Amino acid sequence: MSKPTIPTINFKEKAMELLPHGASFEACLTCGLCSSGCPASGLENMDPRKFIRMAMLDMNEELSTTPWVWCCTQCKRCQHVCPMSIDISQLVYIARGNWPQELKPTGIVRSCQGIQATDSTSAMGLPPEDFVFVVQDVLEEVRDTQPDFEKLQAPMDKKGAFFFVNQNSREPMSEPDEMVPLWKIFDVVGADWTYSSKGWAAENFCMFTGDDDAWYSVVKKRVDAVNDLGCQVWLNTECGHSYYTMWNALSRFGIESNFKLESLITYYAKWIREGKLPINSDWNVNNIKFTVQDPCMIVRKAYGESIAEDMRFVTRTLVGKENFIDMQPNRSANYCCGGGGGFLQAGMTEQRRAYGKRKFDQIATTGAAYVLTPCHNCHSQMEDIGHHYGGDYGVVHFWTLICLSLGILGENERTYLGPDLLALIA
Amino acid sequence: MHPPSNLTLSKAGEQVIETEVLIIGGGVTGAGIMRDLSLRGVSTLLIDKHDLCAGASGGNHGLLHSGARYVSGDLHSAIECRVENEILKRTASQCIEKTGGLFVAIEGDSPEFAEKFPALCAKASITCEELSVQEARIQEPLLSEKLFKAYRVPDATIDPFRLALENVAHARVTGKSNYRPHTEVLSFEIKSGEITAAICRDNRTNEISRVRANQYVNAGGAWAMNIAKLAGCSDISLLYSKGTLLVSHDRLAGHVINRLRSPDNGDILVPGGTVSVLGTTSIRTEELENVHPTVEEIDLNVKEGAAMMPILATTRYIRAFSRVRPLLQSTSGEDDREATRGFALADHTGQGLTNMCTITGGKLTTYRLMAEKTSDLIAKRLGNTNTCQTATTLLPDGEACKWTEPGASPKYWYTANDPDDMILCECEMVPQSAIDEIVRSAPGAEDEMTLEAIALRSRAGKGPCQGSFCGIRICSHLYDCGHYHDKTGLYHMRDFFNERFKGTRTIIWGQQAAQMELAEALHCGLLGLDNLVDE
Amino acid sequence: MKEEVRHFESELAIIGSGIAGFAASIFALKRGIKTAQIGNTGAVAYTTGYLDLLGKIGGSTEIITDPWKGLEQLQKNQPDHPLSRIPIDDIRAGFDQFTDFLNQAGIGYSAPLDHNLTALTPVGTLKPTLCVPATMEPGIRALSDKTPCIIIDFKGLKGFSGRQVVANLKENWPGLTTKRIHFPEMEKGEVYPEVMARALEVPATREKLAKLLKNGAEDALIIGLPAVLGMHNPDLVRADLEKLTGLKIFEIPTMPPSVPGIRLREMFEQVFPHEGLTLIPQQKVETLSFDDKGATLYLKDNYGPITIHAKSVLLATGRFLSGGLEAHITGITETLLDLPVTQPKNRTDWYQDKYTDSRGHALHKAGIEVDELFRPLGQNGKPYNKRLFAAGIILAHQDWIRARSGAGIAIATAYKAVETIHNYISEHSSAKE
Repeated sequence: MSKPTIPTINFKEKAMELLPHGASFEACLTCGLCSSGCPASGLENMDPRKFIRMAMLDMNEELSTTPWVWCCTQCKRCQHVCPMSIDISQLVYIARGNWPQELKPTGIVRSCQGIQATDSTSAMGLPPEDFVFVVQDVLEEVRDTQPDFEKLQAPMDKKGAFFFVNQNSREPMSEPDEMVPLWKIFDVVGADWTYSSKGWAAENFCMFTGDDDAWYSVVKKRVDAVNDLGCQVWLNTECGHSYYTMWNALSRFGIESNFKLESLITYYAKWIREGKLPINSDWNVNNIKFTVQDPCMIVRKAYGESIAEDMRFVTRTLVGKENFIDMQPNRSANYCCGGGGGFLQAGMTEQRRAYGKRKFDQIATTGAAYVLTPCHNCHSQMEDIGHHYGGDYGVVHFWTLICLSLGILGENERTYLGPDLLALIA
Repeated sequence: MHPPSNLTLSKAGEQVIETEVLIIGGGVTGAGIMRDLSLRGVSTLLIDKHDLCAGASGGNHGLLHSGARYVSGDLHSAIECRVENEILKRTASQCIEKTGGLFVAIEGDSPEFAEKFPALCAKASITCEELSVQEARIQEPLLSEKLFKAYRVPDATIDPFRLALENVAHARVTGKSNYRPHTEVLSFEIKSGEITAAICRDNRTNEISRVRANQYVNAGGAWAMNIAKLAGCSDISLLYSKGTLLVSHDRLAGHVINRLRSPDNGDILVPGGTVSVLGTTSIRTEELENVHPTVEEIDLNVKEGAAMMPILATTRYIRAFSRVRPLLQSTSGEDDREATRGFALADHTGQGLTNMCTITGGKLTTYRLMAEKTSDLIAKRLGNTNTCQTATTLLPDGEACKWTEPGASPKYWYTANDPDDMILCECEMVPQSAIDEIVRSAPGAEDEMTLEAIALRSRAGKGPCQGSFCGIRICSHLYDCGHYHDKTGLYHMRDFFNERFKGTRTIIWGQQAAQMELAEALHCGLLGLDNLVDE
Repeated sequence: MKEEVRHFESELAIIGSGIAGFAASIFALKRGIKTAQIGNTGAVAYTTGYLDLLGKIGGSTEIITDPWKGLEQLQKNQPDHPLSRIPIDDIRAGFDQFTDFLNQAGIGYSAPLDHNLTALTPVGTLKPTLCVPATMEPGIRALSDKTPCIIIDFKGLKGFSGRQVVANLKENWPGLTTKRIHFPEMEKGEVYPEVMARALEVPATREKLAKLLKNGAEDALIIGLPAVLGMHNPDLVRADLEKLTGLKIFEIPTMPPSVPGIRLREMFEQVFPHEGLTLIPQQKVETLSFDDKGATLYLKDNYGPITIHAKSVLLATGRFLSGGLEAHITGITETLLDLPVTQPKNRTDWYQDKYTDSRGHALHKAGIEVDELFRPLGQNGKPYNKRLFAAGIILAHQDWIRARSGAGIAIATAYKAVETIHNYISEHSSAKE
């Protein structure tokens, strides 16, 4: 068999197809705000402005083959800061899709294959029956060991439940106890929710392979699962890109859905405002400092300022106004951490860490002891760059801290707490 | 940077330069003569009062004619073009893109003219293949829906800047020839029917030099008549036709697109690497200096061009330029575009001069032939019996000549993959190393070379920002390298922006208005270049 | 899935996120007007941070030393000029309020004085301006005192050469020298001011840089750096570096994309939402319509449609770069409402022959007309709508580039427009609503 090669695409033509009207790549002033504000600038000797100019100069072969497309996380910050609102990430998506499967980073490809392999749509290949088993097993354990939660529920395939709740595979697969704080929160607020044995997984690496068909098939499975159960809200838990892959795909592929897409962050904020989630910062007697990481996939690329504000409202309530220090820049202008776009799975460790240096600096500047983020990829990346660059911060899920504040965080649910937080609940 | 070995200083302190042949005029013809003679073993000095391709050589479509354009009016020129087209494709391939050309007739154009076109081409032995309307629109999707006839001919595109640079570079490596920019002939010293010296001025330093040569070649293009008059010759009679062309931001067609009708405004669209060049208008003029596009000419080109290709009405233009074409007096037709594009070589013996000749008229496609004929005469006069080699000898890739090719510098840069070799012109992706090489060794390189001269030898400043950012970056880089050490760089930068502006002034609408507003805010509002007092 | 329309109510909708838009928001907040600000950022990120009021008049190459006197002259000679239509005391008040706000928001600025400052540019020329960021102020003093100074620049930073600055300033500043260093941990390849500035927010980076600066300073008493001294706490970054080096330090603006502009943009984006302003940055208003009850703005962001209802609207959409005006082959139009644009008769007259002609270009004086209340005029020469106001460089009869008056026009007209808007809102809210 001959070695696969990357076909050459005509980027200018693709750009014309993408943007027949309005903002076009032709409008570029070549000012460089995109590159100046992009953490992937310099990796593989490329940057967003070079990408556009190379497209305009017909350097199709080079652009078709540059590994930089796997360093760009498609976070769209370049578009955000561009006065002409030029979106380079779309060309990057096309370039990724154009790579033969064999040459794409295997980590991303394998994750996509895993997702397609079972009805779970789980990148780690956890089949539906195993998911059902793990949930049941953990639930029984909690009921047995935590007297306050003898009657805790984790409904499965419950028809007509209000919320269809997704879950990043990492929890049932590697750290099942991390699911429990979420269940407890639902219990506290009295939510009507269910897991589904089908289409329950959150992650969707197929989008990162640039493969439209694969992306579509995954989203379709998930949408069918929600429609089948007749749920009103698909509730995206603490995972960033899962929201974007669903939300964007519905309009991109014209998929019929009978439910709303919502983020758990929105509901945290809503439940706090409604008094259903009675959290406060009284526990933070030592004024431990926190910052938050805005996942690009739900903030800049989707909801925008409103969810960023909700996240800050939740954080301030949770840790105390004076103990929350925002990263700069933040909200829609926030930097991607470098964990997104499949970068974590792409095997390009050196580049990914170089990318993450800016995030590390941002975190270091806040002086915070913990970063809160509702995104798994952000979580992993920030932990990794923290270790790599010698930071001494921790990364925590919102659900962990919410349960901590409510005084209901079980002993097995404290993996991400440092000694300072553990001391408070000892 | 490359002083000729035969340079001495006279007692008065004025430079005396000796050479076998002085060639006046750094267009492609002058550069071609320089190479042709050098290959015959003759030493030459090429001078230009500005720089290479400052006249019509640098102000055209960059079209290597198949000859088809001339089949209806000037069969002789058509055949000349066909022959030269084939020679140049073989010998100067690095300057040429074999795009092929289409002749297209649009509703309203004469069907009779369209019908007889293949027969006319056949007369000149020019390959002409009819395409169905459908096929033509598949190959060039932006062509008007009103297209009713299309033929394909072997037109191509040629980069005149690279062509001139390569000719000069090749002449230089023979070791006997040199090129000096911004050197203008003020007068000739003539003794008994022989020119003994040309008195020249360096237009940057105002220094006077005396060039002593055996033979003098006037390849002054549109200025040839004036130069001949300096030598007392009144046998050169030229008419001047001003043409204006536009450059679009994108390349809009793969082929050269010619309107299939008698030559008129805006009826040729030529790809130039990553852009397209639309033109031309044609008006009679007396003015040779400070020739710039007018709004009327631009609008006319756009209107006519859009009939052929509707996108030309809305596309982003980044530049326009005008140059004067010299036409031989004897050939004044109704429209200057219909005038013969033939050339004439005057030996001036009838004027009582024995060691000067003037080559004029002609066109880019036939430059080599013009150089051959001129060199034949000069060689004969010098008693040099070597024959012309340029029809067969390949034009080698000269040092620092390759940077004018659109899209070439980013390819070199990308392959070298050196993160410290920073891109200075972001639009055309010209790296620092290209600028360094040009300043070090390009034909015409010299101390305190201007930004314009560097831009002429590269793609710097040719993209959408038209030099507004890279002018600053290149200038600061040149300060860093010690190329500039006083305010000279600042003035060069201002002059560069002013020069680029001449090409944008009439096409500032749409996106270009945003680009220019940003540029002017930067250059004038911040840097204060509008307040720079000439020293 | 159904798109949900997000809706906002406000008393004033400001369209435009340039200096005029931001200034208007400051003045509106101060007057207690419930405000929404929308518009893509456009040119702010390109600014140097200098706030010009008036540096030149009427195409002269002469630099104005006293801009306030200059304004008097302008009012006499160019009565149509937007700055001629505002009492000088109001212009002063506008500048005071604007710089006070910046100072409170964490970006130190010099107070407007009775004379122009002579500020440095990245190529070593000099520029008249009224207020400068505190990080740049010491350079202005050092220039006038001719303090022994070293310009330290960074390998990999394009478009900024210490050698160039020195070459062009050495006549005026004999003790000026230069040196090039590597920015800590950015030794290879291109470096961006924005990236260096953010890195300097980290104390550890400052310590590393301070060492290099100290070693490189030689006999200089003050160090000039390209503008990279932090993004959100520039004054703290500078103070810390001064403490660590024991030397005075100042910044010189760089060519775009430059830090001082991004500083301003990000500061506004941080501060305004805290002050209760609805800020929708980076989005373009698609339509604006008026009815009896007010104005309705429609736009779209990534997430979907947004409508804003407002009692009044301020048009501060800028010129060609920011998209308020559009130049066509046939003439200039205003993009949102197709307001009439005063402009030269034909395109030939848009520009002088020479780009750097000190008289400036007629195109720049094109713009929309307003009445004495800064309400744009419609086709009939009457206000387009009683609820519509305008400010900034979209206004006709000014050439902000040649006059060095960009911020001046933005701030002064925003001040005046918000004052009249305030009057309009209070009259109508007390009477009807």
